[in-house]
Amino acid sequence: MSDFLVELGANKTARNMIKTLGLPLPLPQKLRRATGPLEERPLHDRPALVQHLSAGELKQSVALALARMGANSWVVDDGDSDLALYAEQGEAFGRVPRALAPGEKLDGPRAACLIFDGTGAAGPQELAEAHRFFQTHIRGLGRCGRVLVLARPPAQCATPAAAAAARGLEGFVRTVAKEIGRKGSTAQIVFVAPGAEARLEPALRFLLSPRSAFVTGQPVHLSAAVKTDGEFPATRPLDARVALVTGAAQGIGAAIARALAREGAQVVVMDRPAEAERAAAVAQEVGGTPLLCDLTDEDAPADTRALLKDRYDGRLDIVVHNAGVTRDKMLANMDSDRWDMTMDVNLISLIRLNEALLPLMPDDGRVVCLSSIAGLAGNAGQSNYAASKAGLVGYVQARAAELCGRGIAVNAVAPGFIETRMTARIPLAIREVARRFSSLSQGGQPGDVAEAVLFLASPGAAGMSGQVLRVCGQNLIGA
Amino acid sequence: MGTKKSNRSSGQRRAVIIGGVRTPFLRSFGAFTRLDTIALGAAAVGGLLERYPVERREIDGLTWGGVIVPSATANIGREIVLEMGLPPEVEGSTVSRVCTSGLYAITTAAAAIERGDADVMIAGGGDSTSNAELKMPQALVQKLAPVAMNRKSGPADYLRALMKLNLPNDILPKPPSPRERSTGELMGEAGEKMGQRNNISREAQDAFAVQSHQRAAAAMAAGRFAEEVAAMDAPGGKLVTADDNVRGDASVEKMARLRPAFAKKGTLTAGNSSTLTDGAGAVLLMSEERARALGHDKLVAFRSWSYDAVDPADQMLLGPAVSMPRAAERAGMKREHIDLVDIHEAFAAQVLVVLKMLGSDAFARQRLGMPGAFGAIAPEEINVHGGSIALGHPFAATGARMVTTMSNELKLTGKGSALLGICGGGGVSAAAVLEQI
Repeated sequence: MSDFLVELGANKTARNMIKTLGLPLPLPQKLRRATGPLEERPLHDRPALVQHLSAGELKQSVALALARMGANSWVVDDGDSDLALYAEQGEAFGRVPRALAPGEKLDGPRAACLIFDGTGAAGPQELAEAHRFFQTHIRGLGRCGRVLVLARPPAQCATPAAAAAARGLEGFVRTVAKEIGRKGSTAQIVFVAPGAEARLEPALRFLLSPRSAFVTGQPVHLSAAVKTDGEFPATRPLDARVALVTGAAQGIGAAIARALAREGAQVVVMDRPAEAERAAAVAQEVGGTPLLCDLTDEDAPADTRALLKDRYDGRLDIVVHNAGVTRDKMLANMDSDRWDMTMDVNLISLIRLNEALLPLMPDDGRVVCLSSIAGLAGNAGQSNYAASKAGLVGYVQARAAELCGRGIAVNAVAPGFIETRMTARIPLAIREVARRFSSLSQGGQPGDVAEAVLFLASPGAAGMSGQVLRVCGQNLIGA
Repeated sequence: MGTKKSNRSSGQRRAVIIGGVRTPFLRSFGAFTRLDTIALGAAAVGGLLERYPVERREIDGLTWGGVIVPSATANIGREIVLEMGLPPEVEGSTVSRVCTSGLYAITTAAAAIERGDADVMIAGGGDSTSNAELKMPQALVQKLAPVAMNRKSGPADYLRALMKLNLPNDILPKPPSPRERSTGELMGEAGEKMGQRNNISREAQDAFAVQSHQRAAAAMAAGRFAEEVAAMDAPGGKLVTADDNVRGDASVEKMARLRPAFAKKGTLTAGNSSTLTDGAGAVLLMSEERARALGHDKLVAFRSWSYDAVDPADQMLLGPAVSMPRAAERAGMKREHIDLVDIHEAFAAQVLVVLKMLGSDAFARQRLGMPGAFGAIAPEEINVHGGSIALGHPFAATGARMVTTMSNELKLTGKGSALLGICGGGGVSAAAVLEQI
């Protein structure tokens, strides 16, 4: 499942030759991805450029998070005391910040990330600061770099003008993402609700590291709604936790099982009895337990609970609803079987299983559902699939609102075009278009989805609930 | 990383330090070149027993630290016992924990006494960089050994095995790598990085190095080390009486002229770094009961110790900033209760970073989970008689040197307590609190 153009682009000679010949071949940047377990310092020794508006409200959180992540901070010194604050926060980690005058370019290595803290913006006039910051530095961002903008949620801004500024930044970020995607770089905006400042670091660890290689152009909302003890381990966040992954015998599900196990979780690998061999292999690989049952079977929830009771003392911390099917036909030709089958597996059985498992979950449980870009944007020939995957978002939002008091976060991940055995069966021409139809001009890997799921399954996802995190390389269709 | 409370409970047996003796510390490939680590260790132990006579059969064991372990034996401690002609019943062991090995050996012996396993122990450590061994390539060993070890092998078998060698790689000996196995970094590079990351200036480093040399020179001139350094005959008949790396005429002007040693625009030089050295040091420990029975009255004991580690890929030699507050906490002591501070000087930059962190509230909160900084310590307040930059650093001997000098200092000055800190490769570290009892 390799992408010829990405491989070609990774070859320096080929890249130069195509450039010299002026061939109209878009060569997507091979994305930098993380291998191995989560790192204590994902930005170890890498330069991070930061500007806070004078009234920025996240200075302390960002300064401390960057120091803890091992970044060397370069702070735009616009006359306020940001530099001193960074020095104070960086001291314990041997990270002395350096100053950049406004408009001064970074001299030396290219920046790993550009961070603009737009909180405290009183109105759209102040977006000029964002313009100047990114206009100065965007060319100095290294390949597979990260752009991150921080803002307060528009609905929680004190004045309409402030809300306009905050919302304006979102449009700005979505555009930046499209402009820098060619270089494998990504851009996101994080809306941090008042009170959620302490939940920023885990999100930064995900969004600023190669773990979010295929996530770009996304708004992420952090709130203080989910109850939490505030303990967010940076490494091995899932130690001693039990996770259930449905449809885990292959593809994205197997990648998720591997990622969760890698971070310490004991994983129940659930799939249909027909996948017994593959499920057993994955379970053995991750040191977990296979669970063979048909999701649509009425007994599936009871079987699952029985296995959990038997093997894990009835403990279950994380559920990842990954199993899903497609039965594509244009609406006029779609028979009831196709409709019912898709709806049953993707949504009805999922709700049945989830409702049965919720009582087992402790107060910091995590539920992650796999939605789809098709469900958010619609896709010809997938009315059944789109309805099920959009319906799932509704379920996630309703459950999230209800469970946040218990400390359980419920979120969805919506993959775009991911290179799997399933997408490998799409006819070449269509596949090639689908691949290139994103800001990063390439498909994602199952591991990209797995990293997003891992983030949402970890204690550090306490700032997020009821959200849909798209792992789509900013797919050019859809909201 | 759980914080353990005191290493010892009240009313427990105590191990006390009777005294320590070391060989002179000589720059590697000097007069001690032909003395291996066992010979150096035997010299130190010989000097110790001469100065602090004890009935040989009373000795329960000898625990020795070593970093460069000779291929002839992995158990240097036992070989020293046999080399010295001590009773064969004296058990011997060897511990290896990079530059903290010497202290580790001594606290291991103290723990054995405090557990009631022993009454009298000799502990210490030594190293001879001059005797680091070249290693034959493993491929050579693996290709030839099966033939050589098989008694039925004939010339044809040897010839066949020899034909399989890849020349010249399989027969060129490999020098021991001074680089960290996990990070590939040289010690000096790690020290350089620490200095840069924490804004430690070249001037501050040089000034600290000069202080180390001047204090060591003053101590030597005043005869302060006479009790703890045993003169010895080097091969060739030369009598060696003193350390040879100390430069009493060191000055910041001279230091400033030296070129960076580890990075082009670096700040670490040969002058503000410790150097490769040959030497050994030994300490005599007893149970307090036995010591008092033998008439020793001024006694020094360990109040606590702490062995820790930090990520070598981050700031490898930062460890003492973790271990020293932990050891003090276990001793139930704060900065103001500590009279003397002695820190192993791997590099001036590294010591200055450690001091900066010991005074940092942020470091205490973020990295140690302690409410506030251990306390500010000025560079002038530590290492009253100089340290490894001036005296040299025969890896495992340094812990024994520090324990000896500090316990003598407590006895001579009547002060109450001393805090020791040592960094090491791989990110390990050690600290201990000595007190006069």
